[in-house]
Amino acid sequence: MNKKIGFTCAYTPVPLIEAAGFSPFRIFPESKAPDQAGHLLHDNLCPHVKKVLDRALEDDLPELEGMIFINSCDSMRRLADAWHEARPDDPIILLDLPSGINSLSLDFLSKEYERLAKTLFKWNNESFSTKKIKDTIARWNLLAASVKKIEKKMSRNYFPGIASKLQQIINTAATDSTDKALLMAQHKIDPEESPKGGQSPVFVFGNLLFDPKVYDLFEKWNVHVTASDFCTTSRFVTPVDITADDNIFRSLASSYMEQTPCARTMDTTKPGSIAQKIVQRAKESNAKGVIGFTLKFCDPYLARIPMIRQALQKESIPFLMLEGDCTMGSMGQQQTRIEAFTEMLGV
Amino acid sequence: MMYDHFDNAVKGITDKLNQDPHGINARKKYVLELSRLGKKLYSKDENIAWCGVTAPFDLLGSMGVTSCFVEFVGAMLSSTQTAGYFFEEAEDSGFATDSCAYHRAVMGAVLKNAMPEPDFIIGTSSPCTAGLAIVENFAHQYKKDFFLLNVPQNYTQDAIKYLSAQLEEMVRFVSDHTKRPLSKQKLGIALENFNASSQLLKEIYDLAKTNPSPVDNNILKDFGTVITLLMGTQKGIDICQAFKDELNHRIKTRREHASKEKIRLMWIQNRIQYPFPINEMLEDLGAVIVVDELNDVTWDPMDPDNPFESIAKRMISIPFSMDASERIKHLQGLAGAYRIDGAINPCHWGCRQGTGIRGLISKGMKDINVPVLNLEIDCVDSRNLAKGQIETRVEAFLEMLS
Ligand code: SF4
Ligand code: SF4
Repeated sequence: MNKKIGFTCAYTPVPLIEAAGFSPFRIFPESKAPDQAGHLLHDNLCPHVKKVLDRALEDDLPELEGMIFINSCDSMRRLADAWHEARPDDPIILLDLPSGINSLSLDFLSKEYERLAKTLFKWNNESFSTKKIKDTIARWNLLAASVKKIEKKMSRNYFPGIASKLQQIINTAATDSTDKALLMAQHKIDPEESPKGGQSPVFVFGNLLFDPKVYDLFEKWNVHVTASDFCTTSRFVTPVDITADDNIFRSLASSYMEQTPCARTMDTTKPGSIAQKIVQRAKESNAKGVIGFTLKFCDPYLARIPMIRQALQKESIPFLMLEGDCTMGSMGQQQTRIEAFTEMLGV
Repeated sequence: MMYDHFDNAVKGITDKLNQDPHGINARKKYVLELSRLGKKLYSKDENIAWCGVTAPFDLLGSMGVTSCFVEFVGAMLSSTQTAGYFFEEAEDSGFATDSCAYHRAVMGAVLKNAMPEPDFIIGTSSPCTAGLAIVENFAHQYKKDFFLLNVPQNYTQDAIKYLSAQLEEMVRFVSDHTKRPLSKQKLGIALENFNASSQLLKEIYDLAKTNPSPVDNNILKDFGTVITLLMGTQKGIDICQAFKDELNHRIKTRREHASKEKIRLMWIQNRIQYPFPINEMLEDLGAVIVVDELNDVTWDPMDPDNPFESIAKRMISIPFSMDASERIKHLQGLAGAYRIDGAINPCHWGCRQGTGIRGLISKGMKDINVPVLNLEIDCVDSRNLAKGQIETRVEAFLEMLS
């Protein structure tokens, strides 16, 4: 089994981890570990950060050779701070992630990614190799293309079980290996059954929804997920356009900044454009309605939901906003609201 | 409404100052200047920029822009007890009660058209994610151009270069809007003013370290953050000088509160903005807040020949910009320099930036044997204030310290 590198944020380029000879291990906030993160930080932080810290405090993690943190938001910064206390022996690298996209921020992030790559090779006593990075990016891009293909299928027709299978593939890429995920995508995903009708087409978005079983539940509740935008779904499998720049790290930076829309990153030339992006993605995926699922205490989303609501309203796209933690358990409480929403949407 | 509020404040304070022409009255002069700034912001004939907390107000001022951080208005609404109406507006529009109330108040004011429309907006990624998100909302709501300053949290050469380059780009952005180029001479004067103010601040803080301290619980309240709005101007120097004179005068005349000082406290992050007699209560019990976390000069003097790099370094040096270990080191340094007996951390509800490291701060202070009282309180929204409970906890804490 490969040595693992832990990470928590979708802006972490998995190809760099694999190029350095490690396996990626995204730490999902899923654990039976008792709630204790609040003592080290505060209870008013998002359940993502708190649960990941609970796992660290309870040693509910595989052996890790190091941790990558990205300062994507205050809560993530606090998680990185607390990690030093929770697991003082872990080597840690914290990357600065700009909030806006422009040429200066791309330059800066490319240097941060380069720093990450060099650190990872060093952690594994490997000599730095751009070729290895390019090779892993090539395989990652194949995966990203397969994921896109599957999403396209999902947006056109309802194939029972496909959303959950897609999530399994993405989770494999996040916690095991790109190659395994690619294999799954290529061999297991083709729908054996023909498309079915009777479900309401819905676009879902938010910060985290990673449990494949959640997507099965959605189907039980008459939802046909036409596409999704979470940092644990296809947003995570960002294709890297290596032709974008001669410098591989700059290519990585522009791909991750520009192709990964997330509430914490903004296009300063179009303030509030996250709302337009969601409208656009909902329309492109042929959804009739949108469900937002965000975590409690998540500032990047809390502050943008009003704009998103407004934009959807303007387009007469029905919107259901759900808030909770990211567990299956909390999903159960949403059944009635989701069923009422799909009933209202019709088929 | 807001213009009238500031106008009345200017008139009222000016009258009081006129009645006492020989008094030093530093705090009154300071509030007067802030009220004048408020009036300018609402006067409609200035170039206005709404900003994030760490924006370079000296640089903006030198370019003829009247600028202010949006949280200043949130605090003002809270202190005048008018915030409730604006919270409700923001909450009805979907802004969650779990968010920072500085932002909720000011967003409510935007939605109620109670804020002057800016010419443009300058966001800063420090101190907080929430602040940046709210100024993006401003830009969206007003349909105004938005410039964002990313303040890196790692104090490296690359980070400093990156922020300096952004500042240069910001200058171009501002010039495009005001149609005025940056005057090197005016910037030089602003930076010299800033340096003179910084030097006076150091002296003020040194005086506050005296044992017993000449400060009372109100005089330097929220000073370090807000004075940055004025530091690039001659007025800023005058205000700082007045504070220095006042503290010297107090030491000389042994007129104080300080004579009653039994317990020396540090206040962490924000003070409580709405009327809540905690300062008086502390005073009655012989406790003096001798230092606020944000009352410190963490930067080197600005270099007028290298303005952008100096400002960049200053912005990163603020304890909130860097990671928790740096912030804790800073708190520990203050604790030693001011010889405090204990610290109060109000743990402002909704602040992931500051309150988010409540536990780590307590631990860091425990390492140097300084007890911390963590209050769970919203510093801006008083609607759920458990007054009795807070008072009991403060009393018990002070009893333990004495
Ligand atoms: S973006 Fe939101 S969900 Fe993600 S770590 Fe930050 S606060 Fe938590
Ligand atoms: S209290 Fe915290 S969240 Fe609110 S403005 Fe200050 S740093 Fe930001």
